[in-house]
Amino acid sequence: MKILFGIAFIIFLVGLFLRIYEWFGKGIRHPGEAPPPFERFTAAGKGLITTLLSGKIFQVVTTFFTDVLFQKRLLSKNIMRWVAHTLIFSGFILLLFMHGLGSGVSEFFFSGYYSTLQPYLSLRNLFALMVLVGICIAAYRRLRDKPRRVKSLSGDWAALFFVGAIIISGILLESSKISSPSEFARMVEEYGDVADEEETLALETYWAAEHGLVSGRVARPYNSDLVEQGREISSYSCAECHAPTSGAFVSYSLAAVIGPLISAGSSFFLYLHLLICAAFLAWLPFSKMFHVVAVPISLLMNGVLGFKEPAQSGASALNRQMIGLSACTHCGSCSELCSSLTFYESFQNDFILPSEKVQLLKKIAGGTSVAQETLQHLQKGLYICTSCDRCSTVCPSGINLRELFTTSRYHLLATGSPEPAILSHFSFPLALAQNFIDDHKKALKKVEQLFKESFKKLSDMTTLTLARPADVGNNSYQSCYSCQRCTNICPVVRLYDRPQEALDMLPHQIIFSLGIGNKEIATGSRMIWSCSTCYLCQEHCPNGVELTDIFYSLKNGAIRTMETGGNA
Amino acid sequence: MKLAFFQGCNIPIRIEQYALSAQAVLEKFAVELVEVPEFTCCGYPVRNVDEKAYVLPSVRNMAIAEKKGLDIMVICNCCFASLQKAKSVLYRDPGLKDEINALLAEEDLHYEGDANVKHFLSVLHEDIGIEAIKKQLVHRYTDLNLSVIHGCHVLRPREITGFDDSFVPQITDALVNATGAVSLDWQGKLECCGAALAGLNDELAGSLLNEKVAGALRAGADYITPICSYCHLQFDTAQQTMRSADSPLLPVLLYPQVLGLVLGIDEKLLGIDRNSTIAGEHLSALRSLLGPPVEEKKKKRKKAAAAKS
Repeated sequence: MKILFGIAFIIFLVGLFLRIYEWFGKGIRHPGEAPPPFERFTAAGKGLITTLLSGKIFQVVTTFFTDVLFQKRLLSKNIMRWVAHTLIFSGFILLLFMHGLGSGVSEFFFSGYYSTLQPYLSLRNLFALMVLVGICIAAYRRLRDKPRRVKSLSGDWAALFFVGAIIISGILLESSKISSPSEFARMVEEYGDVADEEETLALETYWAAEHGLVSGRVARPYNSDLVEQGREISSYSCAECHAPTSGAFVSYSLAAVIGPLISAGSSFFLYLHLLICAAFLAWLPFSKMFHVVAVPISLLMNGVLGFKEPAQSGASALNRQMIGLSACTHCGSCSELCSSLTFYESFQNDFILPSEKVQLLKKIAGGTSVAQETLQHLQKGLYICTSCDRCSTVCPSGINLRELFTTSRYHLLATGSPEPAILSHFSFPLALAQNFIDDHKKALKKVEQLFKESFKKLSDMTTLTLARPADVGNNSYQSCYSCQRCTNICPVVRLYDRPQEALDMLPHQIIFSLGIGNKEIATGSRMIWSCSTCYLCQEHCPNGVELTDIFYSLKNGAIRTMETGGNA
Repeated sequence: MKLAFFQGCNIPIRIEQYALSAQAVLEKFAVELVEVPEFTCCGYPVRNVDEKAYVLPSVRNMAIAEKKGLDIMVICNCCFASLQKAKSVLYRDPGLKDEINALLAEEDLHYEGDANVKHFLSVLHEDIGIEAIKKQLVHRYTDLNLSVIHGCHVLRPREITGFDDSFVPQITDALVNATGAVSLDWQGKLECCGAALAGLNDELAGSLLNEKVAGALRAGADYITPICSYCHLQFDTAQQTMRSADSPLLPVLLYPQVLGLVLGIDEKLLGIDRNSTIAGEHLSALRSLLGPPVEEKKKKRKKAAAAKS
């Protein structure tokens, strides 16, 4: 068993090293920027030292208590989730320090610790019960009450399963020990003060009657004289070092029910429990349970740095990004409050939800190659974002999602296919922030080129055909009587000396071309993407032509055409 | 009066002072604003991409308010227009309404159209009223010229927004004049700030913005007062990088900040210094303009205006 734990611990250490190496070695980079691990490591060290030396140390301490230990960020958003996490977290940590790390650690934290004495017997059960209740709440939430639209992944279930398995195997182990006759015999041998076989039988009867022992030698109804005799022997022989097993209230109750079934299995359950614990230890760095390492760091960084100020350097930004990615527990808090939530219904794109973006970005940052089609979905999901920063505000792990999503967006735009959604108002906050200006311009150029290639222009055509009026969903244009008021009042047309050169077609010409069934040249004119949507034309049209609304419809059509790659 | 406060995406993270000052002002008139964390984006940013995707979020937001039995108050013009547009689309298209309701039912929501959508300025102008506002004033501005820029989507299309006369709007003038300030007649008052083109065509967005800045300055504006959150960001943030080299910076004051000062609300609470175009000198200038809350005689004011021009 020791060897097994040794191997598990080595795997754990290697995993830990690999994950921490990833913090400084990998990441989704701003195009053209790739600071080497050494530089990133020094940047992290420098950041740490400046923080410790500055007055911010107080902030670190406060954050540690409020955000890391107390999980205030979680409490303020969702009480049930906080209850579940607190039960699992505190129950597990207390069990770990009181029971799991060996008697040396136990006695250090709990002076006078003795596993078979009170209050430890009951406390162990209480802590185990806390974890189990927490797991039940978490599982219930994943099944019935999870943030809408967020999917539960196998890794999410594995974490709950693993923690639950440790606790349940532990309880089974304790129950089987309570009911085990061989365990009883061993303890009588080692610690008991019994004179002869008769006394042993009395003691055994008493333990069977009152302490859940399943004995092959005595059976119900127990001889009350023997029980009384056994009680007396127990009081001087056992009680000093062994409290009544009923104190272990969960295991004792379980032993009362299934004792006969498990009484012979105490060594089996011991190995099972240890095996699961060892497996959990080895699995931890490779799973979302790694959050126990990454979240405290992420929260402390968030406590000191917030998410609104840009990082000190590219290296620091990448470090924080990687720590953040490994701190995600896929809890779904971000997606629950995402401003773009409802767009998911229209686009059926998982990557609109921040929690789902992070899952894929984790893989990409780690160097896993992802299919082109998935990347395109992700790119779109990254773009359908209002930049409201709610996700960064609510994330219970303190991940700087703003920075992560912005960098990833421009990383994909630089390497991937043109993104027509860049022609939406989602671009407004990006332009306002004045970050990635050149990358934005390049990405915009790509889309403009695609737009140009997707449609025929009036100037490309040798003849213009007359057809039935086009259908654009809003056919109010049919009442146009050619007064050109729309063009005359347009504030965009007014800005150009030779508007037709810059815009291809003027508002009234777009309406004319629809009237003669030439939707494609209308859709392909730069006018529709230069429309400021001020609605002056529509408001001033004497015949109620809804120009701005028609332009919107043309823009929708143009984007659909660009996305499907066909001609209008 | 109790209203669900629809802040949209820009205000909570980029213009918090707009929400805070509006809240502080409305508190004076016993209007309670309820924050609703379940509200999402109104849909506006996606309109260029997909009109149906644009309508859905607004319907959901209205259904949330409906469930709470509250009317909605909006500050941002684009949010306002999106909610009103969604309302009118569903009114005319019962098929789409059923389709969306089937989707909303999964979240235990239902849209009937019972929640009214009010613009912040309408709440001040109609629900509270100019006279009630005047009664609460503890100061009046003695000499303050504001260029109000309405923003397009609160005025047009008029049959959707139902806000004011879209050709000769009255509400903002009445509200500004009530504080003693002058709402200037100027060229860009009803026109576009360029925000809808920012990030798509920055050159055009900048030209439209600078045209407004120049127009307001020419008309003698001390400050520009944008109503829409997009306009605000254009003037308060984009102006700093986009304005032409020879143009002075035109400072921005939001209407609830203008009103808040004469209601005696602390300037910190109104977040005036959080407007990035506002400097200390503006604050002291504003303080010096706070006069007693009595209306000047009309003649005197005309004279003063004449002398100024």
